[in-house]
Amino acid sequence: MRRFFGELYTYRELIWALALKELRVRYKRSVLGFFWALLNPALLMLVLTLVFGTLMRIGVPHYSVFLLSVLLPWTFFSQALAYSVESIVGNGGLLKQVRVAKLVFPVAALVSNIINFLLSLIPLLLLIAALRFPFHWTWIYLPVPMLALFLFTLGAAFFFATINVFYRDVSHIVQILLTAWFYLSPIIYSIDFVPSKYHWILRLNPLLYVLNGFRLSIYYGMLPSWKSVAMSLACGVVSLVVGLSVFRRYERSFVYYV
Amino acid sequence: MRDDSYCIEFEDVSQVFRLIRERPDTLREVFAKVRHYSSRHQKFEALKHISFRIGKGEMVGIIGRNGSGKSTILKVAAGVYTATSGNVRVRGTIAPLIELGAGFHHELTGRENILLNGLLLGLTKRQVMEREERIIEFAELGDFIDSPIKQYSSGMYMRLAFSVATEVDPDILIIDEILGVGDAGFKQKCFERILNFRRAGKTILLVSHDSSTIQQYCDRVLLIHAGELIAEGAPERVLARYEELYTHTAVPVPVGQ
Repeated sequence: MRRFFGELYTYRELIWALALKELRVRYKRSVLGFFWALLNPALLMLVLTLVFGTLMRIGVPHYSVFLLSVLLPWTFFSQALAYSVESIVGNGGLLKQVRVAKLVFPVAALVSNIINFLLSLIPLLLLIAALRFPFHWTWIYLPVPMLALFLFTLGAAFFFATINVFYRDVSHIVQILLTAWFYLSPIIYSIDFVPSKYHWILRLNPLLYVLNGFRLSIYYGMLPSWKSVAMSLACGVVSLVVGLSVFRRYERSFVYYV
Repeated sequence: MRDDSYCIEFEDVSQVFRLIRERPDTLREVFAKVRHYSSRHQKFEALKHISFRIGKGEMVGIIGRNGSGKSTILKVAAGVYTATSGNVRVRGTIAPLIELGAGFHHELTGRENILLNGLLLGLTKRQVMEREERIIEFAELGDFIDSPIKQYSSGMYMRLAFSVATEVDPDILIIDEILGVGDAGFKQKCFERILNFRRAGKTILLVSHDSSTIQQYCDRVLLIHAGELIAEGAPERVLARYEELYTHTAVPVPVGQ
């Protein structure tokens, strides 16, 4: 762990430059450039609000806010994972040329997606204002589920990026896994919609507590229980520890397989 | 050996690779191979018990045929590969010019790539900024510096990569057969820069097939043959040995690489 933080510190400028590079490349040669980071979620929100606000009436008031409060963190998670899975293989040419701490690549993929995620909160704020939905004071709690989410995502990124070096099938499997994970998480629905005899299945989901934290504080204006907070952070830390140790175990061999 | 202050020391270093065609790439191949796997597991010893020392300020050439292990030595010295066995000790910072421009991103401009590549080679952002103008000037890129490098000619690309790598000002410069950079004029500039490095007391490790380059610039030469260090010493002597090996033995050319 100490080495982990040491490397993060040593390579902070490189990580930042790589993260910005990723964003720059993503939006390069588009007329609106960085605005897409705002426009993308904004357009998504517009569509969702129209569909669920006027066309389909769902028994949840302000369903778009209900949905977006967890859909945005989820989108962050799935995009960050999809990017970072390829981060080692994609930088194979580099690994063969210079000696550099390998963790900079998954971390940079995470950082670029964090920037994207934080930017996507701006249109959410605008939407909430436009809908005259109340701003709950519980927004100040958001850094906690964010931290838990970032830790969890980083751990998963390390884990899958490592396996992907040896078995390229992993990036495909991750895509399928993410789709299944999406529907098994209370994102488009709430856990209350599910018959209680199936709740145990949903509780196996390590992201449940984190997503719950986002929805409670943004939509309901409530704070999660201490138990739920502890669980969300614990899932994040366990994920990071497991992911990082798998990464450490194999990082020396990456260069022979990329 | 001039003195004991060596910069690079290899002590009984071996590097073993699993042959690519034996390496399963996808799960399906794993399943298909699981039965034969252990029996057909093939290893390739790229370096066999190599030992040598390179003193501070020396310029050492490595010669050998294709696939003999020259580049592997460079990559082990640069810390890209971790030696399978033996000890490698390196003192000082290294700038590897192994595959020039491997860290470049085609969509980014020359200027953006300078920053990224400089950071990758271990500089801080401030150090890159300080060197930026000199890098651009040396690479003779002019206005192209703010265009994406996918629009560069291959010569411009190489010049930029060489310019960044050498402005890093490392203690040790590792050069892998890249002196075919650009036109004659630029090649001359590259050599001058390398010689300046040498005058400044830096250590240079150079792989080249060009005997005259080796003869002209190197203090010492290592001859690598099939992963073994078979001769070491003054350029004339080792080059003669190389010629002899080349003309008299029918060494099968390794497949691939």
